Amino acid sequence: MKKIATICGYIWAVLCLLIVLIMFPGLGFFSKQLASLPFMKINPIYSGGDVEQIKECKNYTLQIHKPVFEALIGESSEGFIQISWIWKDSLPGILNDSIDYNTDGKPDFIITVYTTNGDIQINPLNEKVKALIASAQTENGWIARIKLKK
Amino acid sequence: MKSDKVKLPPYTTAGKFWKSLLICLPMIFITFFFLTGGEPDFSDTTNSIAFILVFLFLNFLFFKIIYTGKTDKFRATGFILFAVFLSLVFITNMVETREGMSFSSADLLECNIPFCHIVITMILIPIVFTNSIIFPGSILDGFAPVSTMLILWILASIALGKGFCSWGCFYGGWDDGFSRIRKKPLVKNINTIFRWFPFAVLLLVALSAAMTLTPTYCEWACPFKTVTEFEAVTSTETLIKTIIFLLLFLGLVIVLPILTKKRIQCGMFCPMGALTSFTNKVNPFDVRIDKEKCKDCGICEIKCPILSLDPTSIEKGKTHFVCSKCGKCIDACPNQAIHYHIKGTPVNKRNTTARTLFVFSGFLFLAIFSGGTFQMGIIRIINILTTGSFF
Ligand code: SF4
Ligand code: SF4
Repeated sequence: MKKIATICGYIWAVLCLLIVLIMFPGLGFFSKQLASLPFMKINPIYSGGDVEQIKECKNYTLQIHKPVFEALIGESSEGFIQISWIWKDSLPGILNDSIDYNTDGKPDFIITVYTTNGDIQINPLNEKVKALIASAQTENGWIARIKLKK
Repeated sequence: MKSDKVKLPPYTTAGKFWKSLLICLPMIFITFFFLTGGEPDFSDTTNSIAFILVFLFLNFLFFKIIYTGKTDKFRATGFILFAVFLSLVFITNMVETREGMSFSSADLLECNIPFCHIVITMILIPIVFTNSIIFPGSILDGFAPVSTMLILWILASIALGKGFCSWGCFYGGWDDGFSRIRKKPLVKNINTIFRWFPFAVLLLVALSAAMTLTPTYCEWACPFKTVTEFEAVTSTETLIKTIIFLLLFLGLVIVLPILTKKRIQCGMFCPMGALTSFTNKVNPFDVRIDKEKCKDCGICEIKCPILSLDPTSIEKGKTHFVCSKCGKCIDACPNQAIHYHIKGTPVNKRNTTARTLFVFSGFLFLAIFSGGTFQMGIIRIINILTTGSFF
């Protein structure tokens, strides 16, 4: 019994050494395998949620994301919606868009971005739309997140 | 306390030059392969100098580990410099790409934040409940993506157990380094109850992250932001966060390790250290004490930087399960009673094979993981000295 335990111990120890050896050359492969698992996706709180509507405008593409009401269990009563603009040629001075995120045919809010100074105005047309919570200019566009109530 | 020394046989490689060199040969070949990326190219002088320096440095350290039979001093040299070089390379990268050490709202909103292994402590519960990762990083692309860092930690933990915290973690070298500054500690006799503190921190950050779906430790309590990156100070909240991480770095990573000669951040605070301790249970390597040789002098207990030894564990001939296999107690024991050991094999023996297998695995991980960072760091140092710019 002692001999078997000793042999098993050495085998396991040598396997550990092999793991270190294959870990780095295989890192790309192992990472891809792991990334393909269903839980390997960034939570919408951070990713901004899936894009639900795309509008092609003259100077830019407007992306309206799915509203995010993430909670550990169920849904939170408060969330946000992410709006992204992607420039086509150059940065427009003012962006003014009406957003119908619940696709009921009526705009829920109007958002105006003054790209020169970063000012953003939200004009809520739906009582569930609250204030701006985050915004930033990106390499080729702009992102804004607006607080929503459920 | 008994203090009479007994003469015991050293490791069979200690003091034997050719035998040691033979054991080092695989390390020499493997590090050559990894440091050159499998395609040696010496056409660029700066790159070649960086390669030669790193190759010689790493193999010199490993040779010393084998030839002297001592582990900790040489391991720590590589481990500490890895932490310093990683910060150097990381910060200069940040300055180059973002013109400062802080990340912007755009980086957060676009999920461009590098993932670090400590975040793993906070994503586990949310994975179960939300089937997703609560971190503003990338899954597979960019610098330090989630899946690559996860794989690295999982495999390193299987191969080394909590040895990761003394051979692989690119932060651990900071408090390891500061804990070596004084010859003798000013604050002695730290209660071993503090080794449970990281488990409390782990519980707290895991639960708070789950409740808020936010990596709370990263946001509020990570001292290592001081030497990597942090959120730009744009509000009172970000200012408070900045003051907290600076104070934590000063207290847990610099001042307390200097005063106590203990790795306070890693042994008494880091939630990742606590989580990684559990991997010692599945890893085959551990550190054991030969009760026949042990004279109960207590030197190992004083030397252990993370409170893994106490009279009870010495009595049992085992280290506590938080042991990071640094080798400090093994080197310090005047009776050569402590040794690396492979579970299942006989205990009361200073076993050269067990030691060689563990230090080879540990050092190989350190060498490959740190090699690129060392080379890049040296290239940046040469650049700044010769051109006035890091790039
Ligand atoms: S305790 Fe934490 S910071 Fe220290 S070495 Fe381990 S993971 Fe790294
Ligand atoms: S018990 Fe020994 S090997 Fe383990 S952490 Fe303490 S000094 Fe290092």
